[in-house]
Amino acid sequence: MAETTLSDQMTARHAESFGARLTALRHGMTPWWFLLPAILFFAGYQAYPIFRVLWISFTDYQYLSSEPAKFVGLANYITAFNDPLMWASLWRAALFTIMFLPGTIILPLLLAILVDRVSNQRVATVYRVVLLIPAVIPSTLVFVLWKWMYNYQVGPINHLLVDIFGLFTLQNAPQWLGGTPLTLPAIAIMEVWWGLGYHTIFFLAGLAAIPRDLPEAARIDGASEWSIFWHITRPALAPIMMILVVLRFGTAMAVIDEYLIFGGFNRDSPTYTWTIFMYDQAFKLGLWRQGFAAAIGMIGAVGMMIVMIFLIRIFRPRG
Amino acid sequence: MTIRKDEEYRLQQTLARLLQQGSIDRREFLTRSLVAGLGLAGVGTAAKNGIGSARAQDRPLTPTFYQWIEDLHPGIPKVNEKFPGLNYQIAPVEGFGIERFVAEAKKKESTWDVYVGQTPFVEMSAMKAADVIEPWDDYIPKEVIDDMIPSIREENTIDGKLYGWPFFLDVIGNSWHSGVTTKAGLKDEAPMTWDDHLANAKKIVESQAAPFGATFDSHGWRSLAPFTHSMSSNVYTSEGLFDFTSDAAVEALKLMKSIMGVSHPDILLEGASDGGVNGTPDEVAFAAERVGYFSKYFNAPLRMASNWDDPKQLRMGPLPKFANGEGSTVFWTTGCALFKYGKNKEKAAEYIKALTYDAQIWQDSIAGTSAAHPGQLPPYKSIYAGWEANKPDWMLDFVPLVRGQLDKAKAITNHIFGLQQFVIGKPIWETYLKGEEADPKAALKKVVDAVQAEIARGKQ
Repeated sequence: MAETTLSDQMTARHAESFGARLTALRHGMTPWWFLLPAILFFAGYQAYPIFRVLWISFTDYQYLSSEPAKFVGLANYITAFNDPLMWASLWRAALFTIMFLPGTIILPLLLAILVDRVSNQRVATVYRVVLLIPAVIPSTLVFVLWKWMYNYQVGPINHLLVDIFGLFTLQNAPQWLGGTPLTLPAIAIMEVWWGLGYHTIFFLAGLAAIPRDLPEAARIDGASEWSIFWHITRPALAPIMMILVVLRFGTAMAVIDEYLIFGGFNRDSPTYTWTIFMYDQAFKLGLWRQGFAAAIGMIGAVGMMIVMIFLIRIFRPRG
Repeated sequence: MTIRKDEEYRLQQTLARLLQQGSIDRREFLTRSLVAGLGLAGVGTAAKNGIGSARAQDRPLTPTFYQWIEDLHPGIPKVNEKFPGLNYQIAPVEGFGIERFVAEAKKKESTWDVYVGQTPFVEMSAMKAADVIEPWDDYIPKEVIDDMIPSIREENTIDGKLYGWPFFLDVIGNSWHSGVTTKAGLKDEAPMTWDDHLANAKKIVESQAAPFGATFDSHGWRSLAPFTHSMSSNVYTSEGLFDFTSDAAVEALKLMKSIMGVSHPDILLEGASDGGVNGTPDEVAFAAERVGYFSKYFNAPLRMASNWDDPKQLRMGPLPKFANGEGSTVFWTTGCALFKYGKNKEKAAEYIKALTYDAQIWQDSIAGTSAAHPGQLPPYKSIYAGWEANKPDWMLDFVPLVRGQLDKAKAITNHIFGLQQFVIGKPIWETYLKGEEADPKAALKKVVDAVQAEIARGKQ
């Protein structure tokens, strides 16, 4: 049997502690390996483009120009802030959001409560499917359908108003699309219809999570239906409401496809919002001033984030 | 031994043919030759057949077309059959998007060799500025250049170089529904002056032959510019921009307001597709047989009349003119651009020549097919001369009328803001049309200011 020296023992102890440290490090690293795909995705797909656009917004980058982009500091931001079109276009987007958001919350909530009360499960399923039909129609079809519905001369809405009910003539019938004051409400109605089933399903999921005995007990205690809604249903749905308000605020402020299709690039059109302004500058005008367009985008995005913080504070579940 | 030599020879010829057609690249040609044991003999065969030009062909000729071009001109695939191995593609973008082309040019590469769908005043200046395209001059046969109608050749030229090879010609003219005009007691002939046009349109409304007398497309390059040209085409600044404050432009704007008095109330609204420029209210009114006269490029009335109970009631003629006016109009061509970083440039020229001279494409375009009736016309003098010398039985009357106008017609001058100046200006000059501004010249002066401000923003 070989005798171990003090030095051997110390070496072995060191090796043990090194091994333990390595194991601990390996264990400590494990979660990071699982996180790596998400981190890579976030860095490459979200963080990089944001910082890239931020950088471009401080340059005079013009896509069609062969000249290299120069750093111009805050010049693009100053130009944008001094441009009345920037403020007008932000206001138009806000106006659309104001028209659209209530229809995204109140109507689906009302429908969800009604569908939730249908005791026959088969009938309830039919209602859910019918409500979801618009949500599964591709956007192209939705736009084609509503463009036809709203058409001034041959659309069914004006046909009803002019030819059937005689409320208007061919000379003064409502001009729904194409840059008139009615364009934003007309698009908002289409959007509310399109998302109705989808938003209703959100609320139905929330309603399903409320224990049935809670409203029943309240009813036995003599609470009115309004009290039940206000004190039980509304607080229970508050997290869903907050998510919907914040998400749909973001999408409503940043609408672009519908405006391009229903309004075009007419700067006086209510559909010429900051998103169209940005697109126009980045891909249409002159040598495509993407530095300036990036500044418009950053202003719009930061403005939206500020409002979102307020919305989260207002709609956050309390208690 | 003889059999093996024959086989080698046949293989050599086949490989050389594939290389010439661009079906295989040079690397693949050499690899196959070596694998087949041909070695340098194969290379020699290729050299005999001109490996010099084949060396540039790393791929088959690859043109890209807009979808609408193929939809409107079903004869194109038949021309393609004459070019075996052609890699015919549809453009990755609809409308006027050139982003992909520019992105590739920045990397000094191009997926495609030739782009069929370029409209000079819309995008040619931008494509040139972005170094996407190069002139055709080194590749196009001289006789083809000489055969182009001079105004069309000028439209496709920047700094003396031909950056566009014109294909389909669109001319702004006048058309009418003869059923409506006859019902209104009007002669079945084109109004020669704007005064006649307006008087006829009023008669249509008064007689209730149709709810509306006349219409136009409110986009400036389709109404303000051609109406201005009918007075004078000398309305471009030294910078190359449209002179909105010229007397002719002011008269044109006043004319637009007069026509609006006998037109449908939604005439100024944006269209329903392609960023508002297509599917416009004038087309809907004409398709619904609710209006008598329609001023626009000819493929619009042709397409809309196909919805009528009797499409044969469509008549087409030249754009009316002002009394003492020049009688010009606006035309543009949709043509072909040669990608600077593309390949097969000689082959591209050969292909485009075959396309643009194809007799069947022009017959289909003018006479119509079951698929479409675009009414777009050729850009070459010799084709019209041939029709004049020997009139085909399918020829329509509007073609010689348009050809006659082409000697006077003028394209919108090429400029990076060639199209956008009208987009920027539209809501501003419309303040006059809507009665918000009493003075047409004041409204048009504001257009000039707005366009200049936008140009200045790019120079900051």
